[in-house]
Amino acid sequence: MKSIKTFYLGAGILGLLVMAAIFAPLITSFDPTEQDLMQTLSAPTSAHWLGTDALGRDVFSRLIYGARIDLTIGVLAVLLPFIIGVSLGLLTGWFGGRFDSLVMRVVDTVIAFPFYVLAIALVFIFGPGVKSIIVAITLVGWVAYCRIVRANVLVAKELDYVHAAKLTGLPIGRILRRHLLPNVISQAIVFSMSDIVLSILAIVSLGYLGLGVPIPTAEWGSMIQEGQPYILQQWWLATIPGFMVVIVGFALSLIGDGLVARLER
Amino acid sequence: MVAPLFAVENISVEIKTNRGLLQAIRGVSLEIHAGDSIGIVGESGSGKSITLKAILGLLPNNAQLTSGKIYVAGQDIAKLDKKARRALLSESAGMIFQDAIAALNPVITVGDQIAEVPRFRLGMSKKDARKTALTLMEQVGISDAEARFGLYPHQLSGGLRQRIAIAIALSGSPKILFCDEPTTALDVTIQAQVLRLLLELRKNSGLGVVFVTHDLAVVNEICDSVKVMYAGRFVEAGKVATTFNSPSHPYTYSLLKAAPDPDAAVHRLFSIYGEAPNLTLPVVGCPFAPRCFVAEAQCTAMEPALLPIYESQSACFKSSDRDLWAASDSKLGRR
Repeated sequence: MKSIKTFYLGAGILGLLVMAAIFAPLITSFDPTEQDLMQTLSAPTSAHWLGTDALGRDVFSRLIYGARIDLTIGVLAVLLPFIIGVSLGLLTGWFGGRFDSLVMRVVDTVIAFPFYVLAIALVFIFGPGVKSIIVAITLVGWVAYCRIVRANVLVAKELDYVHAAKLTGLPIGRILRRHLLPNVISQAIVFSMSDIVLSILAIVSLGYLGLGVPIPTAEWGSMIQEGQPYILQQWWLATIPGFMVVIVGFALSLIGDGLVARLER
Repeated sequence: MVAPLFAVENISVEIKTNRGLLQAIRGVSLEIHAGDSIGIVGESGSGKSITLKAILGLLPNNAQLTSGKIYVAGQDIAKLDKKARRALLSESAGMIFQDAIAALNPVITVGDQIAEVPRFRLGMSKKDARKTALTLMEQVGISDAEARFGLYPHQLSGGLRQRIAIAIALSGSPKILFCDEPTTALDVTIQAQVLRLLLELRKNSGLGVVFVTHDLAVVNEICDSVKVMYAGRFVEAGKVATTFNSPSHPYTYSLLKAAPDPDAAVHRLFSIYGEAPNLTLPVVGCPFAPRCFVAEAQCTAMEPALLPIYESQSACFKSSDRDLWAASDSKLGRR
């Protein structure tokens, strides 16, 4: 029962954020990129709930418009590696042989580099922007799913009912999809929850390093970077976007915990 | 003489374990004709299940067929490509397992699992596949098939699950049903029902059965011939009646002696002392010799081959003295 509560708590927090991001124009009347040079670095007021930044832009609307970008990329940058990694894991685990060795050597190579080093290098090559962030994180991220699923397939393919299906001569695609996949996917789903946190963190870090979404688009990472010079006077500029990342991470962890308990009953 | 459907010639299987290479099967030959019913008996670890898996190409990753040939319908399956091999095997063989809950996919309804082969291998329409599945369910004695079609495996009793597993195995209309201890996990009354079902299938549709078990009574009930397996080899083979009435191998003799007799008042059952040999070590001499009551010097020096003797086959140097065994079997069950 506890697991269901944590799941709903996490889903509730995330749901609120997603709703805020979707209905951003209804929640705030300020344009997140509109500058008001008469009112820079103002403290929170009744008009600007979280104050304004150095260019007089409303921090609150930048925060919720930023959620759009960060959550979208976060999800996409997990969905693509998930699909690629799970498919390759299924195939390598099932067929083995040379194809398996080849893919696993690629996996080893990717894993040999620290995540950020490779991601930053790839974004550098492709040039900053939403697309290259997604591509970079996909290229680095699929290996984890491939490994998880492959390991599970190696166990699951010795199950009696997989043997039975094999012996009855069902088409391989059918066996993989109906008999193997439902068995091996749950761990990958649980992992993907914590992976979204990682990928949002990566997007924010890339944004902070100036490799993210081009300015002036609102994005949490660049907001932290822009707020950094004022950390002693206007501490909320850098702290609040960072706090948002923490909240998203917290919500996803709760969902992940709930899923673990539910799927691995 | 009709060509056998399955001809297994002198196969050996090695399994990689963390204690080293294990010689799970050491030269097993077997012929299976359509309509045969063969029992393979032996204790745990004697290689019965691995023999089935080797024949059906279901060996786990750490096991390897190191020598020997397997012919299915006259074709050497090692020479076929994967696809042809799968097609040939699936037309010839079905398999049922010890644990029916593990042999069924928990996330698909039992009806859909039976309908899978008709639909996806034989290419029937959804409606026809469903009809075929319902017929199969009735054929394996499931009453009210229509209502049970949409149930999941965990909603059924053990006996029904095994019936479903049999229906799935039959869905591709195989000629031989390979059974890996299918009644071991069931209680005795359900066991009897499943055995009766297998007997009926044999009688009505001429289905061949290869039955792996350690239950001699089960073999006696449904098989015509029996192979006794010990330490990865057949040590005795013959007709069930002959072998069980007058065994030609001391191991078979001991096994039968150890079976409880319901009519006799017995205080203590016979047991075969010692334990099965460690197959990670090379086998020198007859592997049963250390536990045997008639073993002598030559038994520990050389391993006897499976040779015809009396009406059956036995791998023992002392088979010809079998009429004298009753006098010396007092060594049985002692420690």
